[in-house]
Formats: sequence, structure tokens, C-alpha cells
Amino acid sequence: MRRRTLLCSGLAAASAPVLAACSDEGGGAGGGGRTTLSYGMWDPAQVPGMQQIIAAFEKEHPDISVRIELTPWASYWTTLKTSMRGGTAPDVFWMNAVNFQLYAAHDVLEPLSEHIARDATPVDRHPEQLVRLYAYDGTQYGLPKDFDTVGLWYNKALFDKAGIKYPDTTWTWDDLRDAAAELTNPRERVHGFCSEMHRQFVLYPAMFAAGGYVLRDGHSGFGDERSVAGLRFLTDMIDRGWSPPQSAMVESTARVRFWSEKAAMVHDLSAMAGQMYAVPALKDHGGVTVLPKGRERTTVIHGLANVISAKSDKKAAAWKFVHFMAGRRAADIQAKSGVTISSYAGTQDAWLKSMPEFDLKHFLDMEKHATPYPSSKNTAVWENLQYPLLGAAFSGKGGIEGAARTLGEQMDRALKEERDS
Amino acid sequence: MSVFPATAAAKSAGRRAPTSAARSSRHGRRAGYWFIAPLGLGFAVFYFWPMIQTFYFSFTEFGPFGGHTWTGTDNYARVLRDVTVWQALGNTLIYCGIGLLALPLAIVIAALLNRRGLRGVSLYRALYFVPFVTLPVAVGLVWNWLYNGDFGLLNEILGWFGVDRHYWVSDPSTAVFAIGAVMVWSTTGYYLIIFMAGIKAIPQDYYEAAELDGAGPLRRFFTITLPLLSPTLFFASVICMIQSLQTFDLIYIMMGEKNPAVGDTQSVVGLFYKWAFMENAQGAAAALAFLLMLLIAGLTYLQFRLQRKWVHYG
Amino acid sequence: MADTTETTGARPVHAEATGPRLSRRRINTGSLATHLVLSLGALVMVFPFVWQALTALKSLAEVSRVPPTLLPDDWNWSSFDEVFTALPFREMLTNSALATAGRTAGQLVFCSLAAYAFARMRFRGRDLLFGLFLSVLMVPSSLLVLPQYDIIQQFGLLNSTPALFLPGMFSAFGTFLLRQAFLALPKELEEAARIDGAGSFRIFWSIMLPLIRPALAALAVITAMTAWNDLLWPLIVNTDPKAMPISAGLTSLEGQYETNYPVMMAGSLIASLPMLLVYVFLQRHFVQSVAFSGSKG
Repeated sequence: MRRRTLLCSGLAAASAPVLAACSDEGGGAGGGGRTTLSYGMWDPAQVPGMQQIIAAFEKEHPDISVRIELTPWASYWTTLKTSMRGGTAPDVFWMNAVNFQLYAAHDVLEPLSEHIARDATPVDRHPEQLVRLYAYDGTQYGLPKDFDTVGLWYNKALFDKAGIKYPDTTWTWDDLRDAAAELTNPRERVHGFCSEMHRQFVLYPAMFAAGGYVLRDGHSGFGDERSVAGLRFLTDMIDRGWSPPQSAMVESTARVRFWSEKAAMVHDLSAMAGQMYAVPALKDHGGVTVLPKGRERTTVIHGLANVISAKSDKKAAAWKFVHFMAGRRAADIQAKSGVTISSYAGTQDAWLKSMPEFDLKHFLDMEKHATPYPSSKNTAVWENLQYPLLGAAFSGKGGIEGAARTLGEQMDRALKEERDS
Repeated sequence: MSVFPATAAAKSAGRRAPTSAARSSRHGRRAGYWFIAPLGLGFAVFYFWPMIQTFYFSFTEFGPFGGHTWTGTDNYARVLRDVTVWQALGNTLIYCGIGLLALPLAIVIAALLNRRGLRGVSLYRALYFVPFVTLPVAVGLVWNWLYNGDFGLLNEILGWFGVDRHYWVSDPSTAVFAIGAVMVWSTTGYYLIIFMAGIKAIPQDYYEAAELDGAGPLRRFFTITLPLLSPTLFFASVICMIQSLQTFDLIYIMMGEKNPAVGDTQSVVGLFYKWAFMENAQGAAAALAFLLMLLIAGLTYLQFRLQRKWVHYG
Repeated sequence: MADTTETTGARPVHAEATGPRLSRRRINTGSLATHLVLSLGALVMVFPFVWQALTALKSLAEVSRVPPTLLPDDWNWSSFDEVFTALPFREMLTNSALATAGRTAGQLVFCSLAAYAFARMRFRGRDLLFGLFLSVLMVPSSLLVLPQYDIIQQFGLLNSTPALFLPGMFSAFGTFLLRQAFLALPKELEEAARIDGAGSFRIFWSIMLPLIRPALAALAVITAMTAWNDLLWPLIVNTDPKAMPISAGLTSLEGQYETNYPVMMAGSLIASLPMLLVYVFLQRHFVQSVAFSGSKG
């Protein structure tokens, strides 16, 4: 350690800008005895909404100010981990289900249960399955801010052209399959559906709808017969040419195909409504409804939470902010900004009204029969196994059964390692 | 960071040592250290110390949120056992092989541009160099679009000649070549300039003499241009090899995680980045880095040994 | 550069006028074929950029039309607007410029000082030190980023402009290139100056340094290009969009817009334009510098 410090001071002496920058970094408290919190997030689209919430919060707490630290999604988690190591992590930051348990298990998050009890935070106003996503070993570590469900988006113009009825809440997988066949037009390179290899929008919802599962009691569901049936439903569409193969969808993604009216139906998140709305053609003739029923009617629900870093030296102020974010006023502002569905019950009207052309209430209706996004302590480890192993089957090479079985075995091995460590 | 003329190091050491430098000045006994001190300090902090640390890290494992434990040679065992490492190494060698194709291409163009009395030479040269000046990330994006299987221009043009549509960058059997082709495309201009300078340095009377002997252009190319260009060619091949072994930018931008060809295109540096910064396996990444350093040093040494066999110093 | 204006060489070639008639015609057809091959090559080199610009000006619906249109139906600038709202482009361009300037200036100063000492001064352990410095050439810097990142973090410099150029300011290649240039200068210059009573630094600064201007220019051009294009290092140290250079910024645009090609083409066009403009204006220097660095090998 001594050697490093020596090197550091040596270099600092050699170059003046370094010194200046060093002194710049120091101290979180600004002038006038105010505490400055840093708030880590990744979505640039939500910055304006968050800034409004922060303004409302600062009005209520004049002694605290909040500074947003935006890190793009691609580097968010790596940056967060290394900044935790170096002690420079934000005081409050966004957390998702994939990473939550790892952070909680390593004690780098501040436990919130006591604070919640003391300040009577309205936890019960948020969907219970979301709240539960952010509890670990009986302790609450995060409070939900929003949620996302997956819906079936469709292009009315392409349906009209093929002369078939628009999808509705009565649709089953058979209807989806028949429509996909009708809508596909190879000459114009239009596909009826997009079986994109995307776990949250496509793979998991299909597995759940077929009655299968991804993770149950610490075991993988990829070897399960029903799960495989769900995946086969997807690869079948590819094999018959009603969906582009995955190889084609990395070159032009399902979302972009839908935007450019080359895909008639896609699965996509409620959070994408704003971007769909910004495409003139879709604002004019785009539609959305619930996911068609397989063996069961379901969708995947996921939401982000605000958490506090255990290494923060301003935990009292940080808690005030997280508490405020979980309340009604913050939820109202977030809903009005129109990017995501606020998780606070009864505040979603503003979001629905922000895009009257789309029937967004389907996303709220789906919450009832939604399955929470599956996660364990080392979620990323077994998630990383999925795309490499399933890639060939989703590129029209067949063999989904074998691939899913192998994936199930490897995932079980990863889960066992996770339990043992 | 380029590793440019490693070659010249060796050459000049032999050629220049006894001349002016050593004898000339006695004034700099102490001052010499002051002159090299700033660079020396920078090297110590940013290169020598990190080299030592990389070596140390390669025997440890990192916790996700700090702290590391000594794990002995586990990381090296993992690196040698992991099939993705060998695949990445294979891919890297393919990139290296494809990348070297830029050299013959550049030589041929340089020879064409060297035709006596040819007009527009500097315009051609300027145009061929444009890809090299362009941001590699931008180059990757542009080519991704040209390669696009459904709406890309390449398939459209190939379609005129009856070639079937193909997903060039997401088909595991073509992706590595598609990326390699972009590498050749973007570096040819660089080697072209170097070779043109090399050809210019060849005395014109060699050609005139050969012409009097009745040697045609092809013959002149193989008996004069190529041998006399061999030192430049050697220099270029060393650079080309070292650069290809470090390939990262293009692959990073052209391949996404969901691409079915991801494993078939990953380079060693790409794998290093993934381990170190995506999968929190810094220890194993350090071991991989250390082995790649040894490989590059070994290959460079090999090239120097082989150069005696084919490089012709006039 | 007078000859840059003409691309086609259908006219008789001047210098060969003395040769016999037959040979002249042969040269003409030969040069026509040469021009054909070279122009085709030039087209392959440049057309992707033309296509990039045309795509940036089309709508998403138009670029996915089959078969593709050559010129945009209507010239659509909205992709450029999207790029400018999605990314803090002005900051990113500034960061790229500062990183490039810092790295280039650093190399010119540090490398020329050390190169001068290694080439023209005598001190104990000089050759050993030079060998040690050259060993940096053999180690690709992309493999040292892990500890380098730690060091930058300890200085508290993550997400700052100095982080972008600090390690790159010190270059073994630059030292080597400049040392070669210093070695080629005659020793009488220094001796005369010393008799006049000039100190080491004076001699270096006002006599020797101006004499290796071509080498300095070559180093500056090559370093600037490397710095502007650098991706791996900035991707690691500067993750805040406002502290990113343009190369890293473009990759985050890809994350946001997936395969929305008009936006991607607009972004990549804006990002590569500054260096291209510099190249257009300083074309001869670029070419000479690259040739110089190669010929010193």
C-alpha cells in the first residue's frame, strides 16, 4: 500500500491538473451545510422525470440536494461494482432483480426494514410481488419505483392488408400462430411475429404461458417438458418462416423491425410505449393488447427499486430520499412524465392518458396474472449461459429440446455452486 | 498504443551505436537523468507497476465488491482448460491471417501507383487512406449496415450476380471473415503509404537496367521491387501481426451478446475485457493477459528469427 | 498536389513522348487498365461513407425498403436531431479533442526529452535504461488496463479528462522515433553551442528540437489518430456520458438505438467527421508522417 501512495504523490507533484482534479472530488457536502446525495441511474429517458421528483424533494427538505449520476446501461453494473470497491459508489441507486440478491448477500446495501416500520412508508401501495423481489432473508433492502409488463404490440395496417382481425384479450397461441402465418409476406420481407431470443420479453413469457418455469426451489426449469414446449412454440415460428431467425434479429432487432413496419406483431415492454408513440406510423396504426393465452395467461413483471449503499456516509438523508420516492407525490410526478408505469397503486391514470391512441390499460390488467422475473443470488451467471446455448436452435438449426436440456443441466450446476459458496 | 517499429530498434542498435551519440557530449552526466525522469516516472506508474500487478493479480481471485484472495495457479489452470480461450485464440490467429492479406493487396496497389507517368497518384493515395483515418467504431457501424442480411447493400449487389442473401455477421461460419474483411479494408491504405515510400526509395536505374535487359513489368516487380521492399514488408508484417493480435474495437461494435456467432468471433482481448469487466473474473483475466503478452513476445521473436531467411538488406 | 485534380488518364502520358509509337500506345491502354483497377478500388474505399451519409438522411421505413433506394425520398434530418438529444455530443467532442491534445502534447514533451538524452547525452546506465524503456513496446497496453484503472481510481480521476490521456502520454514508440531523428543530426551543432556557453536544456530546446520537426510532426499525427480512435481505455475509465470521448459515446448510442440504422449512421458520421476534416486539410502531412514512421523502421 505504501508504494502506491508514494507513486500517487509523485505523480500528483509532477502534474498540476491531477492535483486540481483531486481536490475537486473531495467532500460531498456543498456550501451552506447542505448534504448532497448522489443518485445513480442508467436511463437517460427518465432523467427529466427524476429531476422533477428531486425538485419536489428538495423543496420539502431544503437541507438536502440530490445530484443524478447517469451511467449508460452497458457499463452501469461494472461501474457500480468497482466504485463500491473504491468507496465512491452513489448514496442511492437503481437496482434490478438480476443483481439484487448478489448485492444484498454481500452486505453492500443498507437494510431498510427498520426505517420502513419507523416512518410508516406506504409499502403496501406497491405490488406485493415486486416488493418481495427486493427482500433477502426476510429483510427489505429496496423499495420499488416502477414496473414493467410485457404486451403484444401489433401493426393494424399490416392486419388490414392481410384482412384479419386485430388481436384481443380472447386470443390464444393458436390465433397467434394462424395470424403470424397470414401476415408473413416474404417478398416484402414482412414477418408475422418475432421469436426474438430475449429472456424478459419472449423466452420467459413463453415458458410461463406453456405452464413451465425458469427457477423453482433452486432448480432450473429449462429441462421441464412444459418449458420446452413454450420454447418450441417460438422456434417453430422461426422454422416455418413466420419469424425471422435470431441471426437476422441481431442485424435488425425485433423492435426496429416493428418500428419500420416489417414485423406485424412483437412482444415488448410497457416502458417502450413512449418510443413506439414517437414513431408516426405506429402512433397512427399501432396497437397493444395482452399476451395471448397458451396453457395459461401470463406475462413477466419486473420493476426497479431504489436502494441505499451500505458504504454511504449520509444514510439518514439517503433514507429520506428513498422514503419520498416510495410515496404518492413522487409516483404522481413519475406517472405524468410518461416513461414508465409507477408502481404506486392508483397513480397510473396520468400514464394511460399520456398516450390515448394506445390501449395501455392492458399492461395494468396483466399485473394480476403476471409472474415475477426469476432471480437468484448469482442470476447473471446462469443467465449468461442461455443465449450461447439456445442460439443455434433460434437460428433455424433445430434441436431446441437438446439445447434446453443442456442448458437446464448447466444452470443446475451453476445453482449448486451458488448454494455451496 | 502502437508497437510500431520494434524492428528498427534492433537494426539501429547495430548500425548507430559507435557513431556520434556516445562520443559527442560530456556535458550531460547528471542532466541526462533529468531529461529521462518525466518519462521514466510515467512508465513506472502506468506500465512497469501495472505489469508487476498484472502478474500478481493472475494468482488471485477478486471478490465482487473488493478484496482478493490468493489462489495460486488456479487462474492459469482455468485459462488453459477453458475451451472459449482456445476458441478465442484460434479466432485471433484467423484475424491475424486475414489481416496480413492487406499487405499483398497494398503492395499490388503501390506497384500500380508506381507506374511511370501515372496521373492522380496522390488523389488515389488520399482516397485509399480515408478508411484508416475514420473512427473504428464508426467503421464497424457502417459495415454492419452494409452487411445487414435483410436490408443491406452488399446482399443487394451480390443479388445482381445471383448470389443468395446471407446474414454475414451473425452466421458463425462467415462472421469471422466478414470482420476480417473490414480489417483489411481499413488498414490497406496505411500499408499502401508505407510501401509507396519504400518503393520510391528504390533507385530508378535498377528498373532502367532491367528494362534494357528486356524484363517485363511482372518480372521487374518480382526481381526488383519485392526483394528491395522486403525490409519495409518485414516492418509492416510485424505491426500487422501485433495489431491483429490485439483486435478489439471492431468486434466489440459489430457483435452483440445475442449474436449466435459471438463465440466464433471473440478475440483474446475481447475475452479479456469480458472476464475483467463484465464477469468479474479479474484474476483469470490477468492470467489470460499475461499469457497473451508471452505469446506476442514469442511471435515477435520468431519473426525476427525468420527475417534472416527472407529479408534482403541492400 | 497539382495532380490530384485528374482521375482519368486517357490522355497520352507526357514523359514517354520520346519512345517509339507502338510502345506509347501500349502504355496508354496499360494505364487505362490501371486507372480502371485503381478507381474500382477507390470506390470500394469511399462508397461505404457515401452510403452512410445517404442512410443517415433516410427514414427508418425507407432504409428497410426492398430493393433499397439510392437517394432519400425526402431529405430527413431527424436522425441527426435524435443523435443530438440522445448524446451530449458537444461535451463528447470536446472530451475527444482534449484527450487527443493532452496525449499528443504529453508525448511530444516527455518523449522528446528522453529521446534527446538517449541519443545525445552520456550517463551511467543509459543503454540499460533505454532497453528497459523499449520493453514497453513489447507489451500491448490493452492488457494493462486492470491495474491502470486501479491507479486512476486511486488518483480520484475516474470520469475526468486527464484519465483519458494520462497513460497514453508516455510512449516507448515516440521515444524511439524521436531518438532516431536526434541520432541523425551532426554533433558539431552541439559543440558549437557549448562553446558559446549554452546549457543542456538550451541546446535541446532552441537548437536540436527545431531540427527534428518532421519527426515531431509524424509523432503528433500518429499519436493524435490513435488517441482520437481509442476505445477500450475510455470505455473503462469514463462511464459518465458527459466525460466520454466520442468513440465510447457511439457505442452507447448503439445500446440505446439498437439497429436503428439511420440514427446510427448519423451518429457515426458526426463522430468521424472532425478527424476526416483535419485529414482533408492536412492530407500531405498525414501521408508524409505515416511514410516517415514506416521508413524509420
